Amino acid sequence: MPGQKPSSLLVSAATFILLELAALLLLRSSSTLQNIWMNRASHRTMAFLWGSGETIRSQFQMDEFNRTLQAENARLQERLRAYEAMDAEREELDRMAVRNAANYRYMPATVVKMSRNRSHNYIILNKGSEDGIHPQSGIISDLGVVGIVQAVDKHYSYGLTLMNPQMSIGARIGGSELVAPLTWDGRHSGRAILSNLPPHFSVAPGDTVRTSGFSSIFPPDIPIGITGESRLVDGSTRQVDVELFQDFSRLRYVTVVENLDRAAIMALEAEGEVTR
Amino acid sequence: MRSPALKFILLFIAQTALWNYFNFTPYVFIVFLPAMLLCLPAERGTVRVMILAFILGLIADFLVNGQMGLTSLALVPVAAFRRRVIRIVFGQEFFIRDEALSFHRQGWVKFLWAILLLTGIYLIVYIPVDCAGMYSSGFRTLKFLLSLLASSAVSMAAAFLLLEESDERWK
Repeated sequence: MPGQKPSSLLVSAATFILLELAALLLLRSSSTLQNIWMNRASHRTMAFLWGSGETIRSQFQMDEFNRTLQAENARLQERLRAYEAMDAEREELDRMAVRNAANYRYMPATVVKMSRNRSHNYIILNKGSEDGIHPQSGIISDLGVVGIVQAVDKHYSYGLTLMNPQMSIGARIGGSELVAPLTWDGRHSGRAILSNLPPHFSVAPGDTVRTSGFSSIFPPDIPIGITGESRLVDGSTRQVDVELFQDFSRLRYVTVVENLDRAAIMALEAEGEVTR
Repeated sequence: MRSPALKFILLFIAQTALWNYFNFTPYVFIVFLPAMLLCLPAERGTVRVMILAFILGLIADFLVNGQMGLTSLALVPVAAFRRRVIRIVFGQEFFIRDEALSFHRQGWVKFLWAILLLTGIYLIVYIPVDCAGMYSSGFRTLKFLLSLLASSAVSMAAAFLLLEESDERWK
Protein backbone atom coordinates (compact mmCIF):
# COMPACT_ATOMS: atom_id res chain seq x y z
CA MET A 1 0.00 0.00 0.00
CA PRO A 2 1.49 3.40 -0.89
CA GLY A 3 2.56 5.44 2.07
CA GLN A 4 2.68 2.41 4.30
CA LYS A 5 5.85 0.71 5.48
CA PRO A 6 6.23 -2.97 4.59
CA SER A 7 6.66 -3.85 8.24
CA SER A 8 3.40 -2.16 9.19
CA LEU A 9 1.70 -3.87 6.27
CA LEU A 10 2.95 -7.21 7.59
CA VAL A 11 1.74 -6.38 11.09
CA SER A 12 -1.64 -5.38 9.68
CA ALA A 13 -1.87 -8.60 7.67
CA ALA A 14 -0.86 -10.71 10.65
CA THR A 15 -3.34 -8.95 12.91
CA PHE A 16 -6.04 -9.35 10.31
CA ILE A 17 -5.42 -13.09 9.99
CA LEU A 18 -5.20 -13.51 13.75
CA LEU A 19 -8.45 -11.66 14.41
CA GLU A 20 -10.31 -13.44 11.62
CA LEU A 21 -9.14 -16.80 12.89
CA ALA A 22 -10.20 -15.87 16.40
CA ALA A 23 -13.59 -14.78 15.10
CA LEU A 24 -13.97 -18.01 13.14
CA LEU A 25 -13.04 -20.14 16.16
CA LEU A 26 -15.46 -18.23 18.33
CA LEU A 27 -18.20 -18.57 15.76
CA ARG A 28 -17.50 -22.25 15.34
CA SER A 29 -17.74 -22.96 19.03
CA SER A 30 -20.82 -20.80 19.60
CA SER A 31 -23.03 -21.82 16.68
CA THR A 32 -23.80 -25.36 15.59
CA LEU A 33 -25.13 -24.27 12.21
CA GLN A 34 -22.03 -22.27 11.38
CA ASN A 35 -19.88 -25.08 12.74
CA ILE A 36 -21.48 -27.60 10.37
CA TRP A 37 -21.23 -25.16 7.47
CA MET A 38 -17.57 -24.48 8.14
CA ASN A 39 -16.84 -28.19 8.47
CA ARG A 40 -18.56 -28.82 5.18
CA ALA A 41 -16.70 -25.99 3.49
CA SER A 42 -13.46 -27.30 4.96
CA HIS A 43 -14.15 -30.83 3.69
CA ARG A 44 -15.07 -29.51 0.28
CA THR A 45 -11.87 -27.47 0.09
CA MET A 46 -9.77 -30.40 1.26
CA ALA A 47 -11.43 -32.68 -1.27
CA PHE A 48 -10.78 -30.17 -4.03
CA LEU A 49 -7.14 -29.66 -3.05
CA TRP A 50 -6.36 -33.34 -2.60
CA GLY A 51 -8.41 -34.26 -5.65
CA SER A 52 -6.52 -31.72 -7.76
CA GLY A 53 -3.22 -33.00 -6.42
CA GLU A 54 -4.22 -36.54 -7.26
CA THR A 55 -5.27 -35.51 -10.77
CA ILE A 56 -1.93 -33.79 -11.37
CA ARG A 57 -0.03 -36.77 -9.98
CA SER A 58 -1.97 -39.20 -12.15
CA GLN A 59 -1.25 -37.03 -15.21
CA PHE A 60 2.47 -37.51 -14.59
CA GLN A 61 1.96 -41.24 -14.15
CA MET A 62 -0.09 -41.54 -17.34
CA ASP A 63 2.78 -42.93 -19.43
CA GLU A 64 3.42 -45.68 -16.94
CA PHE A 65 -0.29 -46.45 -16.72
CA ASN A 66 -0.48 -46.64 -20.50
CA ARG A 67 2.42 -49.07 -20.67
CA THR A 68 0.86 -51.23 -17.97
CA LEU A 69 -2.48 -51.16 -19.74
CA GLN A 70 -0.89 -52.06 -23.06
CA ALA A 71 0.90 -55.03 -21.49
CA GLU A 72 -2.31 -56.09 -19.74
CA ASN A 73 -4.22 -55.72 -22.98
CA ALA A 74 -1.71 -57.85 -24.88
CA ARG A 75 -1.88 -60.54 -22.18
CA LEU A 76 -5.66 -60.57 -22.28
CA GLN A 77 -5.70 -60.69 -26.08
CA GLU A 78 -3.40 -63.68 -25.98
CA ARG A 79 -5.59 -65.47 -23.47
CA LEU A 80 -8.69 -64.61 -25.48
CA ARG A 81 -7.14 -66.08 -28.63
CA ALA A 82 -6.22 -69.22 -26.71
CA TYR A 83 -9.79 -69.57 -25.43
CA GLU A 84 -11.18 -68.94 -28.90
CA ALA A 85 -8.92 -71.63 -30.33
CA MET A 86 -10.01 -74.03 -27.57
CA ASP A 87 -13.64 -73.23 -28.28
CA ALA A 88 -13.14 -73.85 -32.00
CA GLU A 89 -11.45 -77.20 -31.33
CA ARG A 90 -14.21 -78.21 -28.94
CA GLU A 91 -16.84 -77.19 -31.48
CA GLU A 92 -15.06 -79.20 -34.16
CA LEU A 93 -14.96 -82.25 -31.88
CA ASP A 94 -18.62 -81.85 -30.92
CA ARG A 95 -19.62 -81.60 -34.54
CA MET A 96 -17.54 -84.58 -35.64
CA ALA A 97 -19.35 -87.19 -37.70
CA VAL A 98 -19.26 -90.99 -37.17
CA ARG A 99 -16.17 -92.04 -35.29
CA ASN A 100 -16.71 -95.72 -34.73
CA ALA A 101 -15.69 -97.30 -38.03
CA ALA A 102 -12.63 -99.49 -37.78
CA ASN A 103 -9.46 -98.70 -39.74
CA TYR A 104 -10.45 -95.11 -40.22
CA ARG A 105 -9.00 -92.08 -38.61
CA TYR A 106 -11.15 -89.02 -38.01
CA MET A 107 -9.94 -85.47 -37.67
CA PRO A 108 -12.13 -82.44 -37.04
CA ALA A 109 -11.66 -79.44 -39.28
CA THR A 110 -13.29 -76.15 -40.06
CA VAL A 111 -14.22 -74.88 -43.48
CA VAL A 112 -12.04 -71.91 -44.39
CA LYS A 113 -13.45 -71.34 -47.83
CA MET A 114 -15.91 -73.08 -50.10
CA SER A 115 -17.47 -72.37 -53.47
CA ARG A 116 -21.06 -73.30 -54.21
CA ASN A 117 -22.01 -71.47 -57.36
CA ARG A 118 -19.35 -72.72 -59.76
CA SER A 119 -19.52 -75.65 -62.10
CA HIS A 120 -16.50 -77.16 -60.31
CA ASN A 121 -16.85 -76.43 -56.63
CA TYR A 122 -14.13 -76.82 -54.04
CA ILE A 123 -13.57 -76.61 -50.32
CA ILE A 124 -10.59 -75.45 -48.23
CA LEU A 125 -10.13 -76.70 -44.67
CA ASN A 126 -8.03 -75.33 -41.82
CA LYS A 127 -6.03 -78.54 -41.33
CA GLY A 128 -3.07 -79.63 -43.41
CA SER A 129 -0.28 -82.15 -43.62
CA GLU A 130 1.09 -81.11 -40.25
CA ASP A 131 -2.24 -82.12 -38.76
CA GLY A 132 -2.05 -85.52 -40.42
CA ILE A 133 -4.33 -84.87 -43.39
CA HIS A 134 -3.50 -86.77 -46.57
CA PRO A 135 -4.86 -86.46 -50.10
CA GLN A 136 -7.70 -88.82 -51.02
CA SER A 137 -9.20 -88.57 -47.57
CA GLY A 138 -12.93 -88.21 -47.28
CA ILE A 139 -14.67 -85.12 -45.99
CA ILE A 140 -17.90 -85.77 -44.15
CA SER A 141 -20.15 -83.90 -41.77
CA ASP A 142 -22.74 -85.00 -39.27
CA LEU A 143 -25.28 -84.75 -42.12
CA GLY A 144 -23.44 -86.74 -44.70
CA VAL A 145 -20.75 -86.77 -47.37
CA VAL A 146 -19.17 -83.44 -48.25
CA GLY A 147 -16.23 -84.15 -50.54
CA ILE A 148 -12.74 -85.56 -50.98
CA VAL A 149 -9.37 -84.02 -50.12
CA GLN A 150 -7.35 -83.46 -53.27
CA ALA A 151 -4.26 -81.64 -52.07
CA VAL A 152 -2.74 -80.66 -48.79
CA ASP A 153 -0.60 -77.80 -47.64
CA LYS A 154 1.16 -77.66 -44.26
CA HIS A 155 -1.80 -75.97 -42.67
CA TYR A 156 -4.62 -76.21 -45.17
CA SER A 157 -6.34 -78.82 -47.30
CA TYR A 158 -7.99 -78.41 -50.67
CA GLY A 159 -10.79 -80.70 -51.65
CA LEU A 160 -13.58 -81.21 -54.18
CA THR A 161 -17.09 -81.11 -52.86
CA LEU A 162 -19.91 -83.32 -53.95
CA MET A 163 -21.00 -80.38 -56.08
CA ASN A 164 -18.21 -81.08 -58.52
CA PRO A 165 -18.77 -83.23 -61.61
CA GLN A 166 -15.29 -84.73 -61.21
CA MET A 167 -16.36 -86.38 -58.01
CA SER A 168 -18.09 -89.74 -57.94
CA ILE A 169 -18.98 -91.83 -54.90
CA GLY A 170 -20.04 -95.44 -54.67
CA ALA A 171 -23.50 -95.40 -53.08
CA ARG A 172 -26.00 -97.96 -51.93
CA ILE A 173 -29.81 -97.50 -51.84
CA GLY A 174 -31.63 -98.48 -48.70
CA GLY A 175 -31.05 -102.06 -47.64
CA SER A 176 -30.25 -103.32 -51.14
CA GLU A 177 -26.88 -104.65 -52.05
CA LEU A 178 -26.84 -102.74 -55.31
CA VAL A 179 -24.07 -100.19 -55.59
CA ALA A 180 -24.04 -97.37 -58.14
CA PRO A 181 -21.97 -94.22 -58.76
CA LEU A 182 -23.38 -91.00 -57.39
CA THR A 183 -22.50 -87.67 -59.03
CA TRP A 184 -23.73 -84.10 -58.82
CA ASP A 185 -26.48 -83.21 -61.24
CA GLY A 186 -24.57 -80.04 -62.18
CA ARG A 187 -27.44 -77.70 -61.62
CA HIS A 188 -28.83 -77.82 -58.09
CA SER A 189 -26.81 -77.37 -54.92
CA GLY A 190 -28.66 -80.05 -53.01
CA ARG A 191 -29.24 -82.67 -55.65
CA ALA A 192 -27.22 -85.56 -57.11
CA ILE A 193 -27.85 -88.41 -59.52
CA LEU A 194 -27.41 -92.09 -58.94
CA SER A 195 -26.79 -93.59 -62.36
CA ASN A 196 -26.07 -96.87 -64.10
CA LEU A 197 -28.69 -98.78 -62.17
CA PRO A 198 -30.22 -101.82 -63.90
CA PRO A 199 -33.46 -100.89 -65.73
CA HIS A 200 -35.51 -103.49 -63.90
CA PHE A 201 -34.46 -102.16 -60.50
CA SER A 202 -37.38 -100.41 -58.86
CA VAL A 203 -36.56 -97.51 -56.57
CA ALA A 204 -39.08 -96.22 -54.09
CA PRO A 205 -38.82 -92.49 -53.46
CA GLY A 206 -37.64 -91.70 -49.92
CA ASP A 207 -35.08 -94.49 -49.57
CA THR A 208 -31.89 -93.47 -47.86
CA VAL A 209 -28.75 -93.46 -49.95
CA ARG A 210 -25.51 -94.27 -48.11
CA THR A 211 -21.86 -94.79 -48.94
CA SER A 212 -21.11 -98.29 -50.11
CA GLY A 213 -17.78 -98.68 -48.34
CA PHE A 214 -16.28 -100.21 -51.45
CA SER A 215 -14.05 -97.23 -52.08
CA SER A 216 -10.90 -96.75 -50.09
CA ILE A 217 -11.99 -93.21 -49.13
CA PHE A 218 -15.29 -93.30 -47.23
CA PRO A 219 -16.33 -95.78 -44.60
CA PRO A 220 -19.56 -97.65 -45.33
CA ASP A 221 -23.06 -96.38 -44.45
CA ILE A 222 -22.33 -92.68 -44.30
CA PRO A 223 -25.69 -91.07 -45.19
CA ILE A 224 -25.78 -89.08 -48.41
CA GLY A 225 -29.41 -88.30 -49.13
CA ILE A 226 -32.79 -89.73 -50.03
CA THR A 227 -34.03 -91.00 -53.35
CA GLY A 228 -36.41 -89.02 -55.50
CA GLU A 229 -37.78 -89.75 -58.95
CA SER A 230 -36.19 -92.39 -61.15
CA ARG A 231 -36.15 -92.70 -64.94
CA LEU A 232 -34.83 -94.91 -67.69
CA VAL A 233 -31.96 -93.53 -69.72
CA ASP A 234 -31.57 -94.76 -73.30
CA GLY A 235 -33.71 -97.74 -72.33
CA SER A 236 -30.74 -99.50 -70.86
CA THR A 237 -30.00 -97.94 -67.46
CA ARG A 238 -31.99 -96.34 -64.71
CA GLN A 239 -31.18 -92.99 -63.16
CA VAL A 240 -32.39 -91.88 -59.75
CA ASP A 241 -32.49 -88.35 -58.35
CA VAL A 242 -31.03 -87.98 -54.85
CA GLU A 243 -31.83 -85.13 -52.50
CA LEU A 244 -28.66 -84.59 -50.50
CA PHE A 245 -28.81 -84.34 -46.73
CA GLN A 246 -25.98 -81.90 -46.65
CA ASP A 247 -26.92 -78.25 -47.00
CA PHE A 248 -23.69 -76.79 -48.32
CA SER A 249 -24.74 -73.23 -47.58
CA ARG A 250 -24.66 -73.98 -43.84
CA LEU A 251 -21.53 -76.06 -43.75
CA ARG A 252 -18.94 -74.89 -41.23
CA TYR A 253 -17.49 -77.89 -39.38
CA VAL A 254 -16.44 -81.10 -41.10
CA THR A 255 -14.60 -84.31 -40.34
CA VAL A 256 -11.75 -85.56 -42.45
CA VAL A 257 -11.81 -89.29 -42.57
CA GLU A 258 -8.79 -91.30 -43.66
CA ASN A 259 -8.72 -94.98 -44.44
CA LEU A 260 -5.67 -96.32 -42.60
CA ASP A 261 -5.53 -99.33 -44.92
CA ARG A 262 -5.69 -97.22 -48.01
CA ALA A 263 -1.97 -97.58 -48.80
CA ALA A 264 -2.21 -101.36 -48.57
CA ILE A 265 -5.35 -101.43 -50.69
CA MET A 266 -3.76 -99.21 -53.31
CA ALA A 267 -0.63 -101.38 -53.37
CA LEU A 268 -2.76 -104.47 -53.89
CA GLU A 269 -4.67 -102.74 -56.67
CA ALA A 270 -1.43 -101.75 -58.37
CA GLU A 271 -0.08 -105.30 -58.06
CA GLY A 272 -3.31 -106.65 -59.52
CA GLU A 273 -3.04 -104.28 -62.48
CA VAL A 274 0.51 -105.43 -63.16
CA THR A 275 -0.46 -109.12 -62.93
CA ARG A 276 -3.37 -108.58 -65.29
CA MET B 1 -23.83 16.51 21.68
CA ARG B 2 -20.18 17.35 21.40
CA SER B 3 -18.30 14.24 22.50
CA PRO B 4 -17.54 12.00 19.51
CA ALA B 5 -16.80 9.06 21.82
CA LEU B 6 -20.17 9.34 23.48
CA LYS B 7 -21.90 9.60 20.12
CA PHE B 8 -19.99 6.55 18.98
CA ILE B 9 -21.10 4.58 22.04
CA LEU B 10 -24.71 5.71 21.67
CA LEU B 11 -24.75 4.79 18.00
CA PHE B 12 -23.30 1.42 18.85
CA ILE B 13 -26.10 0.88 21.39
CA ALA B 14 -28.55 2.01 18.72
CA GLN B 15 -27.13 -0.58 16.36
CA THR B 16 -27.56 -3.40 18.87
CA ALA B 17 -31.06 -2.18 19.68
CA LEU B 18 -31.90 -2.13 16.00
CA TRP B 19 -30.71 -5.68 15.59
CA ASN B 20 -32.58 -6.79 18.69
CA TYR B 21 -35.92 -5.14 18.22
CA PHE B 22 -36.36 -4.17 14.60
CA ASN B 23 -36.30 -7.16 12.33
CA PHE B 24 -38.60 -6.09 9.54
CA THR B 25 -37.93 -8.79 7.00
CA PRO B 26 -35.33 -11.52 6.46
CA TYR B 27 -34.43 -9.83 3.18
CA VAL B 28 -33.09 -6.69 4.80
CA PHE B 29 -30.28 -6.49 7.32
CA ILE B 30 -29.42 -2.99 8.44
CA VAL B 31 -25.91 -2.30 9.62
CA PHE B 32 -24.11 0.98 10.12
CA LEU B 33 -21.09 -0.26 12.05
CA PRO B 34 -18.91 0.05 8.89
CA ALA B 35 -19.90 3.71 8.62
CA MET B 36 -19.00 4.17 12.28
CA LEU B 37 -15.57 2.71 11.63
CA LEU B 38 -15.19 4.97 8.61
CA CYS B 39 -15.89 8.00 10.76
CA LEU B 40 -13.10 7.21 13.21
CA PRO B 41 -10.19 9.63 12.83
CA ALA B 42 -8.44 8.81 9.55
CA GLU B 43 -4.96 8.86 11.07
CA ARG B 44 -5.97 6.04 13.41
CA GLY B 45 -3.83 3.01 12.50
CA THR B 46 -5.32 -0.02 10.74
CA VAL B 47 -4.25 -2.45 13.45
CA ARG B 48 -5.88 -0.42 16.19
CA VAL B 49 -9.08 -0.08 14.18
CA MET B 50 -9.09 -3.81 13.47
CA ILE B 51 -8.76 -4.61 17.16
CA LEU B 52 -11.52 -2.12 17.95
CA ALA B 53 -13.70 -3.70 15.25
CA PHE B 54 -13.07 -7.14 16.69
CA ILE B 55 -14.04 -6.02 20.19
CA LEU B 56 -17.10 -4.14 18.94
CA GLY B 57 -18.17 -7.19 17.01
CA LEU B 58 -17.81 -9.41 20.04
CA ILE B 59 -19.83 -7.05 22.20
CA ALA B 60 -22.53 -6.76 19.54
CA ASP B 61 -22.71 -10.53 19.18
CA PHE B 62 -22.83 -10.92 22.92
CA LEU B 63 -25.67 -8.45 23.21
CA VAL B 64 -27.64 -9.46 20.15
CA ASN B 65 -27.73 -12.94 18.74
CA GLY B 66 -25.27 -15.05 20.67
CA GLN B 67 -23.38 -16.10 17.52
CA MET B 68 -20.08 -15.00 18.98
CA GLY B 69 -17.58 -13.98 16.32
CA LEU B 70 -19.99 -13.41 13.43
CA THR B 71 -19.96 -9.60 13.55
CA SER B 72 -16.24 -9.55 14.31
CA LEU B 73 -15.58 -11.77 11.32
CA ALA B 74 -17.34 -9.28 9.02
CA LEU B 75 -16.20 -6.09 10.73
CA VAL B 76 -12.46 -6.79 10.86
CA PRO B 77 -12.14 -6.77 7.02
CA VAL B 78 -13.98 -3.42 7.00
CA ALA B 79 -11.36 -2.07 9.37
CA ALA B 80 -8.57 -3.60 7.30
CA PHE B 81 -9.77 -1.95 4.07
CA ARG B 82 -10.88 1.32 5.69
CA ARG B 83 -7.76 3.39 4.88
CA ARG B 84 -7.53 1.97 1.38
CA VAL B 85 -11.19 2.89 0.72
CA ILE B 86 -10.57 6.39 2.05
CA ARG B 87 -7.55 6.70 -0.25
CA ILE B 88 -9.52 5.45 -3.26
CA VAL B 89 -12.63 7.54 -2.67
CA PHE B 90 -11.29 10.72 -1.07
CA GLY B 91 -7.94 10.73 -2.85
CA GLN B 92 -4.28 10.44 -1.81
CA GLU B 93 -4.18 14.14 -0.86
CA PHE B 94 -6.59 13.45 1.99
CA PHE B 95 -3.74 11.90 3.99
CA ILE B 96 -1.09 14.34 2.71
CA ARG B 97 -3.11 17.34 3.87
CA ASP B 98 -3.96 15.52 7.06
CA GLU B 99 -7.61 16.34 6.55
CA ALA B 100 -10.47 15.26 8.79
CA LEU B 101 -13.52 13.54 7.39
CA SER B 102 -16.34 15.94 6.73
CA PHE B 103 -19.49 15.93 4.66
CA HIS B 104 -18.91 19.57 3.85
CA ARG B 105 -15.31 19.13 2.84
CA GLN B 106 -15.46 15.84 0.92
CA GLY B 107 -19.09 16.00 -0.21
CA TRP B 108 -21.87 13.53 0.47
CA VAL B 109 -21.44 11.68 -2.83
CA LYS B 110 -17.94 10.56 -1.89
CA PHE B 111 -19.19 9.59 1.53
CA LEU B 112 -21.91 7.56 -0.06
CA TRP B 113 -19.34 5.74 -2.20
CA ALA B 114 -17.10 5.03 0.79
CA ILE B 115 -20.05 3.81 2.83
CA LEU B 116 -21.29 1.64 -0.03
CA LEU B 117 -17.85 0.02 -0.39
CA LEU B 118 -17.32 -0.63 3.31
CA THR B 119 -20.90 -1.80 3.89
CA GLY B 120 -20.51 -4.03 0.84
CA ILE B 121 -17.36 -5.58 2.33
CA TYR B 122 -19.20 -6.18 5.58
CA LEU B 123 -22.25 -7.74 3.92
CA ILE B 124 -20.19 -9.88 1.55
CA VAL B 125 -18.73 -11.62 4.58
CA TYR B 126 -21.69 -11.45 6.91
CA ILE B 127 -24.55 -12.72 4.73
CA PRO B 128 -22.98 -16.00 3.48
CA VAL B 129 -21.66 -16.90 6.94
CA ASP B 130 -24.98 -16.01 8.57
CA CYS B 131 -26.92 -18.05 6.00
CA ALA B 132 -24.47 -20.96 6.48
CA GLY B 133 -25.48 -22.62 3.23
CA MET B 134 -29.14 -22.75 4.26
CA TYR B 135 -30.47 -20.33 1.67
CA SER B 136 -30.25 -20.14 -2.09
CA SER B 137 -27.76 -17.89 -3.82
CA GLY B 138 -30.73 -15.92 -5.20
CA PHE B 139 -31.93 -15.17 -1.70
CA ARG B 140 -28.43 -14.20 -0.60
CA THR B 141 -27.94 -11.90 -3.57
CA LEU B 142 -31.29 -10.20 -3.04
CA LYS B 143 -30.60 -9.83 0.65
CA PHE B 144 -27.19 -8.37 -0.13
CA LEU B 145 -28.56 -5.77 -2.54
CA LEU B 146 -31.51 -4.73 -0.36
CA SER B 147 -29.38 -4.64 2.76
CA LEU B 148 -26.70 -2.62 1.01
CA LEU B 149 -29.22 0.00 -0.08
CA ALA B 150 -31.00 0.22 3.27
CA SER B 151 -27.81 0.09 5.33
CA SER B 152 -26.13 2.75 3.19
CA ALA B 153 -29.07 5.09 3.70
CA VAL B 154 -29.04 4.59 7.46
CA SER B 155 -25.24 4.74 7.50
CA MET B 156 -25.28 8.14 5.83
CA ALA B 157 -27.40 9.42 8.70
CA ALA B 158 -25.16 7.78 11.29
CA ALA B 159 -22.04 9.20 9.66
CA PHE B 160 -23.63 12.62 9.53
CA LEU B 161 -24.31 12.46 13.25
CA LEU B 162 -20.79 11.28 14.03
CA LEU B 163 -19.10 13.94 11.90
CA GLU B 164 -21.33 16.78 13.01
CA GLU B 165 -18.56 18.38 15.05
CA SER B 166 -15.88 18.19 12.39
CA ASP B 167 -18.31 19.75 9.95
CA GLU B 168 -18.40 22.81 12.15
CA ARG B 169 -14.67 23.30 11.46
CA TRP B 170 -15.27 23.72 7.73
CA LYS B 171 -18.09 26.23 7.98
